[in-house]
Amino acid sequence: MKKLTTAMALALLAGPVLAEDKIVIEFAYPYSHLFDVTYEKILPKFYEAHPNIEVKMRATYESYEDGTNTILREAVAGTLPDVTMQGLNRQAILVEKGIAKSLEPFIAEEADFAKDGYHKAMLDLGTFDGDVHGLPFSISLPVGYYNMETMAKAGYTTENLPTTWEDVIQACVDLKEAGVDNPVFWGWNITGNWFLQALMWSQDKPTVMGTDFTLDEPEGLTALNTMHDIFRGCDMQNLEWKAALASFAAGDVGMMFWSTSAVGAVERSMGDFTLVTNEFPGLTNNGPMGLPAGGNSAMLVSTSEDPAELDAAWKWLKFITSGEGAADVARTTGYMPPNQAANEIILADFYAENPTKATAVRQLPLLREWQAYPGDNGLAATQVIYDALEGIVTGEFDDMEELQQELSEEVQDLLPTGS
Amino acid sequence: MPGSRAYLWFIGPALILMFLILLLPIGIAGALSVTDYSLGNTSANFVGAENYERIFTRTTYEKMFGATFRYVFVVVPLTVFLGLGAALLIHSLTRFGDLYKTIYFLPVMAALIAMAIVWEFAFHPTIGIINATLERGCGTWLEAWNWYAAGCERTFPLWLTDRDYAIWTVAFIGVWQGFGFNMVLYLAGLTSIPRSLYDAAGMDGAQSGWDRFRLVTWPMLGPTTVFVVTISFIRSFQVFDTVEAFYPQGGGPSKSVYVMMFAIYEKAIQQNLMGIGAAITVVFLGFVMFLTILQRWLVERRTHYV
Amino acid sequence: MSDLTRSTDRSYAPTDGLVLRFSTREAMKHAVLILGAMVVLLPFYVMVSYSLKAPAEIMQQTGGFLGSQEPFRDDFCIKLGNAVEDCMVNPIVYNYTTAFEKAPLVRYLLNGVIVTVSIFLIQVIVALPCAYALAKLKFWGREAVFGLVLFCLLIPVHAIALPLYIMLAKLGLTNSYAALIIPWTISVFGIFLMRQFFMTVPDDLIDAARMDGMSEYSIVWNVMLPTAIPALMAFGIFSVVAHWNDYFWPRIVITGNRDLFTPPLGLREFKGDADGDNFGPMMATACIIVTPLIVAFLLAQRRFIEGITLSGMK
Repeated sequence: MKKLTTAMALALLAGPVLAEDKIVIEFAYPYSHLFDVTYEKILPKFYEAHPNIEVKMRATYESYEDGTNTILREAVAGTLPDVTMQGLNRQAILVEKGIAKSLEPFIAEEADFAKDGYHKAMLDLGTFDGDVHGLPFSISLPVGYYNMETMAKAGYTTENLPTTWEDVIQACVDLKEAGVDNPVFWGWNITGNWFLQALMWSQDKPTVMGTDFTLDEPEGLTALNTMHDIFRGCDMQNLEWKAALASFAAGDVGMMFWSTSAVGAVERSMGDFTLVTNEFPGLTNNGPMGLPAGGNSAMLVSTSEDPAELDAAWKWLKFITSGEGAADVARTTGYMPPNQAANEIILADFYAENPTKATAVRQLPLLREWQAYPGDNGLAATQVIYDALEGIVTGEFDDMEELQQELSEEVQDLLPTGS
Repeated sequence: MPGSRAYLWFIGPALILMFLILLLPIGIAGALSVTDYSLGNTSANFVGAENYERIFTRTTYEKMFGATFRYVFVVVPLTVFLGLGAALLIHSLTRFGDLYKTIYFLPVMAALIAMAIVWEFAFHPTIGIINATLERGCGTWLEAWNWYAAGCERTFPLWLTDRDYAIWTVAFIGVWQGFGFNMVLYLAGLTSIPRSLYDAAGMDGAQSGWDRFRLVTWPMLGPTTVFVVTISFIRSFQVFDTVEAFYPQGGGPSKSVYVMMFAIYEKAIQQNLMGIGAAITVVFLGFVMFLTILQRWLVERRTHYV
Repeated sequence: MSDLTRSTDRSYAPTDGLVLRFSTREAMKHAVLILGAMVVLLPFYVMVSYSLKAPAEIMQQTGGFLGSQEPFRDDFCIKLGNAVEDCMVNPIVYNYTTAFEKAPLVRYLLNGVIVTVSIFLIQVIVALPCAYALAKLKFWGREAVFGLVLFCLLIPVHAIALPLYIMLAKLGLTNSYAALIIPWTISVFGIFLMRQFFMTVPDDLIDAARMDGMSEYSIVWNVMLPTAIPALMAFGIFSVVAHWNDYFWPRIVITGNRDLFTPPLGLREFKGDADGDNFGPMMATACIIVTPLIVAFLLAQRRFIEGITLSGMK
């Protein structure tokens, strides 16, 4: 950590003096507690490859929401950084408002971009109107966390972990009989709609098509009913995420469905039990047909006209999303690198040693977009969905058909009228 | 009179700053409240009173008013009452008064952002210190109390995430944080009551502690009470930090803690909907102003000590 | 001095009882106050305790107040490629060194001092003359100005944050000390409080000064200021506590340079949201942030209450 601070200090002190021979780019990212170590590992490698570029780290964002709001404010103030890391579902706003730049001109200059390991599904996450605007940096998928000692009380082993939601509800019943008060925590509250999209993608159905909110279709009802059955069938407590992680770490909760990105945090804080992660259950025995990707993505928001500076920003952006740079994401966090080459070649041994982190990699073929709700009211729409899902957990809503109708109308009302 | 225009130099800087820093932004908010401006957009459309209409018709905003009033009308009386009680007790002590004073003032000084995290752990439904302590009472006579027995059966309340408890839990933390402030104000009021008044009251036959309190202390604390109540009202209407720390998204279970300040923040800053955020601001100011004037009027009619 | 005044105080104190029942009453009062103190101190106990414990103990709420103090594995260190043996750390040492190293807390504390002191000084320079004019000078529109002050007292900062940010941004002032200080240079609470105080200062004092040929300016700074010291201290504590702990505004305006962070922003270095916060160092930071305020309050306590007494709040 000393190194980073020194590097930062150097960048600050020496920046103006060396400005003539060094290109300085500014960079901002969220969650310093998670990602500081990642960039600390990447920076020396980057400086070795590009000695004439200096990366100046800005204050970190407190969360993805903070990141987006900060960029919007900075856009008004004219103090944007060159490269910013944004939550995958937050990219759309910056593209809509014309703040994020298209990366196509830079990609066109690269001779063997595909060979660097960027494959289509990953690039799709940052593609808007056919142009790539963001390159994913860290990717997460929903997985199941199991406390094997608790599961064993009801006769579950790694061989017969639940594969469908019906199995999960059955497991709840079994665990309750075995004296486990809180068998499950299901992460409905991750940014309000990630798990709803997970249930929609599980049926291979996008949640947003153009400006159309698809919850009013049969798949939507299935998704809501599944949630309702899990919450009621498992008698799930309405826990805030911090409380949920603490409960799981204390061995209070047997099964937790959450993002793979928390593997590190759980392993660090859990009690004396065996943690196993397993594939996210599906609606049928074949498992989910798709799952939304979480995580963040690098976007170019530089307002500079200087080609040399833009090129330097691109070099940094590319470095952290490919090859060794990307591999460090997996080595230092619970996330996966967005890069096929990094996952399959550089990290093969790593996943063999860290089986809890390998589950998400096995699910990679299911990777789908984490959809944003279009228009100025996009974030307000997310909030409406969040409130509705919370209502299912707290027991405020019990009639899913009625909820489906109300929710789809209210959300549709917030989206731009379809063209 | 020398320097008869000196007042211009005295109030000038303050007036200019007040205008630029406080009134101008409020004016901007007023102007934005009739538009659909969203941060980062180049233009905005005039939408008339649409934003205001929404505030008074949507159920979300009904919940907002409900949460705000519940909070204010729990926190204000309790902080005032506890502040007064603590001040009276401490004032009458012969020793250790300074120690209690410091302890009770601690919550006022602590960064709420850090304390919120601590409270969150303390209120954890199963392993938090509060429910863990309650659980120890299971199997004893306490189970005769239905509420307690139900808690032992399943779990004690999810204080912060149960929609029946959340607002009261947050209000409790508000009281915890705020009453020390009022205590200090009351202590100051108490030290300034002349002793001769108690002597006089004693001669008039006021013997019990209650008589002395009723005849001397309470009337003499009138002006302090006016000040304390006004400040407490303003502070609790502006409650934000705890709500944002506990419920960064959504304003609590079923929006039961969706107080006005949080609504402004959510709309204007989180969701970039400046128009509606500004409209809530204007409504907020109107409300607080109305209540302050009402409260001043009531107090001034009732006591003659102001 | 206090012992003497207190012992005479006793017989006049409002809730005091008969001499015979004195000790039981006193004991009961202490019992009530101690109970209250326990509730008040509960979160502080938890805060200090967490700042001493290892992450696993915090999350599972085990280990009592001190924790077992067994060394645990520092993941951060391992991820940087060090061997496990080299990365075993003691919880207390880890929490506090991380608080100071990862977040350069000394720098943040220094910023906190610079910002709070500047804010307070400017607030006094602006508010004191204004309060004096409102209390002691007669001029056309005085009531209107005072009404305006009362109105501004109601304006919440969160509501005007965005317009203010945009104004500062247009002046190119974001990411600077100026951005942290300027919005607070006007304290209507300060004006209100000082005005109430000046109302109690006898007019004779001012008239005498005028007779001596003092200008209004020197009356403000040479006569009123010294008499106002206790009230200023009271206002100082309110102002310093508010701005030392402010988390909302600094995070809005400081988006570029970490070197401008104020102490509470140091807490965010340990936030990981749904992917796990680092509670130990976070609580250590919180302890470090609150300590200077407690010390300051202890030192200023008596004069602080005196100050409020003398100002018009009583």
